[in-house]
Amino acid sequence: MTTSAAFTLEQGAARLAAIVGAEHSIVRGETIVAAPAGVQQVAEVLRFANANGLTVMPTGSGTKLGWGNPVVPDIKLSMKRICQLRDHAWQDMTCTVEAGCSWAAMQAQLREHGQMVALDPLWPDRATIGGIVASNDSGALRLKYGGLRDLIIGMTVVLADGTVAKSGGKVVKNVAGYDIHKLMTGSFGTLGVIVEVNFRLHPAEEHSRTWTAVAPNGAGDAKLFAEPLRALMDSLMVPSSVQLRISRNEFALDVRIAGLAECLDEYGASLQTTLGDFPIVGWAQNVWSAREQMFDDEDSVVLKIAALPAEICSISAELYQWSFGDGRDVKVLAQATGLMTVAIEATPELVPALVERLRARVHEFGGSVVMLQIPDALRGKIDVWGPDQGSGALMNEVKRRFDPGRILNPGRFVGNI
Amino acid sequence: MLTASQIAGLRASVGEGGLITGPSQLQTYECDGLTNFRVMPEAVVLPRSAEQVQAVVRLCARYKIPFVSRGAGTGLSGGALPAAGGIVISLARMNRILNVDLANRQVVVEPGVINAHVTQRISAQGYFYAPDPSSQSVCTIGGNVAENSGGAHCLKYGFTVTHVLAIDVVLPSGELVQLGSPTLDTPGYDLPGVFVGSEGTLGVATKITLRIVKRPEVVQTLLAAFDSIHAAGQTVSDIIAARMLPSAMEIMDALAIQAAEAAVHAHYPVCKGLLLVELDGPRSEVDALMLAVQKLCRNNGAWEIRVAQSEQERAMVWKGRKAAFAAVGRISPNYIVQDGVIPRTALSHLLDQIDRLACAAGLRVANVFHAGDGNLHPLVLYDQAVSGQEEKALELSYRILRLCVDHGGSITGEHGVGKEKQEALGYMFSEPDLATMQLVRCAFDPENIANPDKVFPRPRLCAEKPGPYTPHPLETAGIAEIF
Repeated sequence: MTTSAAFTLEQGAARLAAIVGAEHSIVRGETIVAAPAGVQQVAEVLRFANANGLTVMPTGSGTKLGWGNPVVPDIKLSMKRICQLRDHAWQDMTCTVEAGCSWAAMQAQLREHGQMVALDPLWPDRATIGGIVASNDSGALRLKYGGLRDLIIGMTVVLADGTVAKSGGKVVKNVAGYDIHKLMTGSFGTLGVIVEVNFRLHPAEEHSRTWTAVAPNGAGDAKLFAEPLRALMDSLMVPSSVQLRISRNEFALDVRIAGLAECLDEYGASLQTTLGDFPIVGWAQNVWSAREQMFDDEDSVVLKIAALPAEICSISAELYQWSFGDGRDVKVLAQATGLMTVAIEATPELVPALVERLRARVHEFGGSVVMLQIPDALRGKIDVWGPDQGSGALMNEVKRRFDPGRILNPGRFVGNI
Repeated sequence: MLTASQIAGLRASVGEGGLITGPSQLQTYECDGLTNFRVMPEAVVLPRSAEQVQAVVRLCARYKIPFVSRGAGTGLSGGALPAAGGIVISLARMNRILNVDLANRQVVVEPGVINAHVTQRISAQGYFYAPDPSSQSVCTIGGNVAENSGGAHCLKYGFTVTHVLAIDVVLPSGELVQLGSPTLDTPGYDLPGVFVGSEGTLGVATKITLRIVKRPEVVQTLLAAFDSIHAAGQTVSDIIAARMLPSAMEIMDALAIQAAEAAVHAHYPVCKGLLLVELDGPRSEVDALMLAVQKLCRNNGAWEIRVAQSEQERAMVWKGRKAAFAAVGRISPNYIVQDGVIPRTALSHLLDQIDRLACAAGLRVANVFHAGDGNLHPLVLYDQAVSGQEEKALELSYRILRLCVDHGGSITGEHGVGKEKQEALGYMFSEPDLATMQLVRCAFDPENIANPDKVFPRPRLCAEKPGPYTPHPLETAGIAEIF
């Protein structure tokens, strides 16, 4: 509990119990875990926290709590009780879902009408809408459908002072007022608590196929993939997802195309023609879980690199070369959008130099390197977010306006916002 | 009134040839596409570089001179209406395409580049810039960024914000910052996401990095004639229910068809509801889906179905649709274009209500809409020469907007709030919603000098508490009025 607080942890929990119910306000270690039942309770909890200078960390299922700088909050605001799909206007292809709902639970209900939110985030069975939106997670479907910025059409948030605000709406086309929901997306809970999100929907990909191609003669050079990748992206095909998997054991290019069932064979033939002498060797759908597997070893450092699409092969090749030093291993999962996930096994002291080198490399074209998973030994030794790219002062001012008391996830985000 | 030294400062910032102060020349800038409001600016500057924009804005910041940035002035909500006592920053001379990067599917432009010129520059390589507002042959990318412009094809391809990666912005303090970057997911808040569509109230865009899209293998456009606009609307719902995502779906009613015919002779069938569906993508897929669309049209009673057989035919189909607003001038001396959005499923009900309201007001309403995304453009026809008719038309157009909100929709799908719909924004959003938006405004522009007195029902100073509405000085002076 913040030292300046006028009461003990137990007293604070009792005050919150009066808002959320005794069984939903529990002391765990140095933190009160409070689970409000609806937007008004979220607002009351935040008003209480703000008035008393208590810090708050909104949480879903906690799958990405390790991302960003560590925060030990006074109150963990669990959204697990606010978890319903409130509305599925399938004829309008929109839905409204509460922040605590798991991604998979939402998608299962949307599928009843053959629809989906066209995004494939990490750990969909556990990860919640709020956490996915707050961390702006996205997967391989982003190539065709865009990211959360393109899929979220409205939002209800609660600000630090308890103000309940809506932005956007339930229609896809809407330019009324500022898009506060875009500001909240990817803000890591530092500007407000996301309570409800409105999505635009797409038809579910009823028929799709995945093809995996490898380099001719098993050649192990990521740069060789640059030309077939360029040809594919410059072709008339419309893949949903394209990813490059590079490690000591595999050099593979995965392509997923959705469409009418009767067209898929034709797409496969066109793909082989486009890829030239890079043979298609497999059709396994499960390659799309490769990004999740990057996080399997908790001792690995996992990086998110945002690069220009045309650079992913050369950066992958550089990382591959680096992995041949003593005691190192690297796995690269690069999407054709330019977003790369990299898992590194190495002694901790080797990592900062590599990250700095990568940052210098991608800085040339405005890219970024964020450390998503980082062992405790490296915490505090390197900035997980990387340097200010020029708008840090403006971001700080936005934070100051939204959360002047700095109670929401203080220090977690870029530049210790 | 600007002082002589302030004028001199502006001249020093942009050079003699970049400053307009003569009343007859200033008149060009007194309004945009919404001509109901007119305010003469004190001066207009035409900078040629971000540095010149910075110099101008720094001067504005120093003396708290309001400024309004302007592209081609085609906006329909008064977003580029000058502020009283302020200056206009015209970006017309910053019109260079700075870089084309096909490998990364990006183009970097200055704000004064005309929308259609981006596609023209890259079409030979098989790419296009997707947002296509009807004014795309004259409107600028800077203006598109301000309004988050859409167009007929945003059903599939998204809006301007979908296609903006990075923006160089001169903040109202005069500082130049880059929001976003050419790569995705720049660490930090999505400031470009909130800047796009902020209608010039957060700063001046001086360089924009745009995403471009590969041109599809084939594009097929179908016209279907129905005996009622409801049947056309039902067909749209059926297409969606069949899990198709056409690149565009447009509906025009009898009056709009009549106007388009009079203006551009698009040879549309004479009917009560005309549906235009465009599909694009791989040939085999589009061929199969087009057959399915035709079947759905017939199921709903379409008595004539035409698929454009050539690029010329397709262009003619679109020419009629895109000319519809201006064409209404052929059948009515005056008209008001509205821009409401509703959930698609409310379409039939809303159209009935519009009919009733129009009958009660004794006015005609032509309907043109982006049916796929529920974006209506009711055109309220009237004759200014008839006493009291303009007031009735304005009232009708606002009642239509309120109906859109009542049906769970929005007061604007692509034209923006600007000056025209400030009060309607207050109908759509609650006071806490608007106060939250103002936090962003105050972070970017604490002195409220960038396009002040726009968008929000009543702009408040950043330290001010919410309060009741009070008339703006412009209203008091009789220069403009809120309606």
